[in-house]
Amino acid sequence: MVALPLIGVVLAALGPDSADIAGRDVARYAATSLWLGLLVGCLTAILGTAAAWLVVMHRFPGRRFFSWALALPLAAPAFALAYGYADLLDVAGPLRIWLRDQWGHDLPFEIRTIGGAAFILSAAFYPYVYLAMRAAFVNQSVNVLEAAQMLGCGRRTMLFHVALPMARPALAAGVALAVMECFADYGAVQFLSVQTLTTGVVRAWSVYGSTASAARFALPLLAAAALLFWVERASRKGQVHESGRARWRDISPLPLGRLGQVAASLFCTLLLLAGLVIPAGWLLWKLLAARPDWAWLLASLKNSLLLGLAGALVTVALATMLALGTRHLPLAGRIASLGYATPGAVMAIGLLAPAGVIWNYMPSSGTGIAILLLILAYAARLMAAALEPIDAGLARVTPSMRQAARSLGRSEAGAAWSVELPVARGAMLTATLIIFIDILKELPATLILRPFDFDTLAVIANNYAQDERLGQAGAPSLLIILLSLPAVIWLTRRVTLARPGQQDDSDWKE
Amino acid sequence: MNKKLNMVALAGLVLLAGCSGGSGDDKTAPNEVNLYTARHYDSDKALYERFTEQTGIKINRIEGKADELIARMKSEGANSPADVFITADAGALWRGEQAGLLQPIESETIKARIPENLREPKGNWFGFTRRARIVAYDPAKVKPEEVDDYAKLAEPRFKGKICVRSSDSIYNLSLVGALIEEWGKEKADAWVKGIVANMARPPEGGDRDQIRAVAAGVCEVAITNSYYYLRMASGEDAADKAMTDRLKLAFPSLGGKGAHVNISGGGVAKHAPHRENAIKLLEFFASADSQAHISANNSEFPASKDVPVVAPVDAYVDFKANPMNVAAFAARQPEAQSMMSAAGWR
Repeated sequence: MVALPLIGVVLAALGPDSADIAGRDVARYAATSLWLGLLVGCLTAILGTAAAWLVVMHRFPGRRFFSWALALPLAAPAFALAYGYADLLDVAGPLRIWLRDQWGHDLPFEIRTIGGAAFILSAAFYPYVYLAMRAAFVNQSVNVLEAAQMLGCGRRTMLFHVALPMARPALAAGVALAVMECFADYGAVQFLSVQTLTTGVVRAWSVYGSTASAARFALPLLAAAALLFWVERASRKGQVHESGRARWRDISPLPLGRLGQVAASLFCTLLLLAGLVIPAGWLLWKLLAARPDWAWLLASLKNSLLLGLAGALVTVALATMLALGTRHLPLAGRIASLGYATPGAVMAIGLLAPAGVIWNYMPSSGTGIAILLLILAYAARLMAAALEPIDAGLARVTPSMRQAARSLGRSEAGAAWSVELPVARGAMLTATLIIFIDILKELPATLILRPFDFDTLAVIANNYAQDERLGQAGAPSLLIILLSLPAVIWLTRRVTLARPGQQDDSDWKE
Repeated sequence: MNKKLNMVALAGLVLLAGCSGGSGDDKTAPNEVNLYTARHYDSDKALYERFTEQTGIKINRIEGKADELIARMKSEGANSPADVFITADAGALWRGEQAGLLQPIESETIKARIPENLREPKGNWFGFTRRARIVAYDPAKVKPEEVDDYAKLAEPRFKGKICVRSSDSIYNLSLVGALIEEWGKEKADAWVKGIVANMARPPEGGDRDQIRAVAAGVCEVAITNSYYYLRMASGEDAADKAMTDRLKLAFPSLGGKGAHVNISGGGVAKHAPHRENAIKLLEFFASADSQAHISANNSEFPASKDVPVVAPVDAYVDFKANPMNVAAFAARQPEAQSMMSAAGWR
């Protein structure tokens, strides 16, 4: 069921019609997509790893605060960051005008370029790498690091020759997630006029009215998504058994010189500023001059909450069934997860095909059926984000535990109910929150499938931005951040404060 | 067990659908009208309320980009609840018509109120407000007579001096469509190449960003829709107002007949379940009151000559507009897109 949109895309690609898009343009779009993916991959890898290494292994002012606060940009939708930065750093934006007036100089870069987009997306997505790497570093055996230290390894050798190689699976997983998010992005890249393959999809679809051609653009993106997903999965395999049976102790942080301490604090502060404070602050500043329609915002906020909660519960329920049911069929889980990296515009095409079949029997004017469809669309789109932690949680159940339950007379299903699900309970809660946050930010499915008179915060933000009213777009964007922040804080504190040795060696389990 | 879980999930879904269901399930309920609109201006909401007050007809509304709405209507097929389709560009209405999503209507009210060139000849759609695609320029660097014709923008005089957004923008496609219609393909193609050669930077941002770029000295001339400039000039944002105060608006001529004019407009959906109400709503949009409201709130030009306008629109409303039929340039957009892509207008 959750694979329906993907089947929709593939079927659409087989259609006969085609759009007049030059091969040269296709090559340019593909190159832009590739560059963007590469840049975001590298940048998030460096920033996320550096932040995690500093926070885990060093003592400096603000370390405890940063250890969870560095994940906060997860609450901010990438499109909100794009609105904020594009407005702030535009040639005719206040900052550059001021610089030109004061210093006679201009900044040597443009924000609406591949580089600018890579910066914005990296600022939005580095927490994926940070969280993965932080967990990996914390979980590394202290003995190994201490042994390295005793053998006279310098700090650099320790990082590059000991810690990083051991954490490679986590790095691959985090970067794969960041790059998948980058490909799936709908609002930000388009707003920055960076033309990726998604532009090709939209052009073929809208200007030339060719769904088939649009879907064909989408196929390489789907392939890339599949590849990334495979990388992510493959990297997880190594991780599960890595921790071995080492005894857990707190890692004693390495001392830093005064200069090093300042530099470490500064680096973490800058990351937090870039990923959340500057763009959100600028939107807030712009908002002061705007007159938002609060009644409408409030109604949309309710809709966002309703969709977020219902969507999260349904998605997690489906993901749990999928995880339990496909332990022996890993391929099914992988296909169901592809939606996560599928570009928004492509997803829209894929969603409309199965939706059309349903609409043939039940008109879309029914609010109930429309919301139901929308929730299923979320499940299809975000399955990966739920499946990941739940799979990880279920991996804690050893075969012997299951066998014990079976030998005590439980059926296969009974064992799942009374043994496996309780063990994975924490993971399911984590998944619920992640999906909740993702749905608040979700655009394409919501835009195209929602019922009459039913706007969400993300939809309003997008509408205002389309109309070039950024001051107004600030209010819904900031409300999304406000709604997500508690969930993100709770999540990250839970993940980052669960130190090995405190309770057990699980990141996800309570 | 999986079966049991499945059942639980299914029950949950059904419950959810039931809780949130209700309104609008009966698509033949008489006193409502379903509006699919690509216009999303806050001020339009006051207009919808006024319509309900006057007629007792409730408006159910979905906003989205024109192409998303078209795609949705296509998927919904004969079962589509859409009654009225409204967009902010003739090209998008033409796309809807091409996809077989609209039906022609006969309305004496609309014929009487809306000039013939703003109506699609078969009656599939029409415009109720006008927006001119024109230029904002820096009067310190450019003389008015240098920008009084679209052709002059492509001349070497403006090498590296033009700011314009991407060819993804349907407003640009409609403009080039109009040039093709007026000049023929060859001359239009040369113009497109000339503009690409004259660009001060690769296309980025929206129309407002082009205007700001002129104010910031990046270029001398920005191609923009009239209402973006007028909205900035009306003082929504102090910094924007200060910028437009230093600039001027010019209405270049196309073939000596006036500036290229696009529309906000709409039509009745092919399978409209409330056809009568749909026509009433479109007639309401065509009324002088509605046109005046839209013009006052969004700085668009009314479609009808007799509609009163307020500042800052009043200073420009009598501009010379090219009388080309809106359907003529709208149908040229695929050609325009191919031409612009080939010339490297990204």
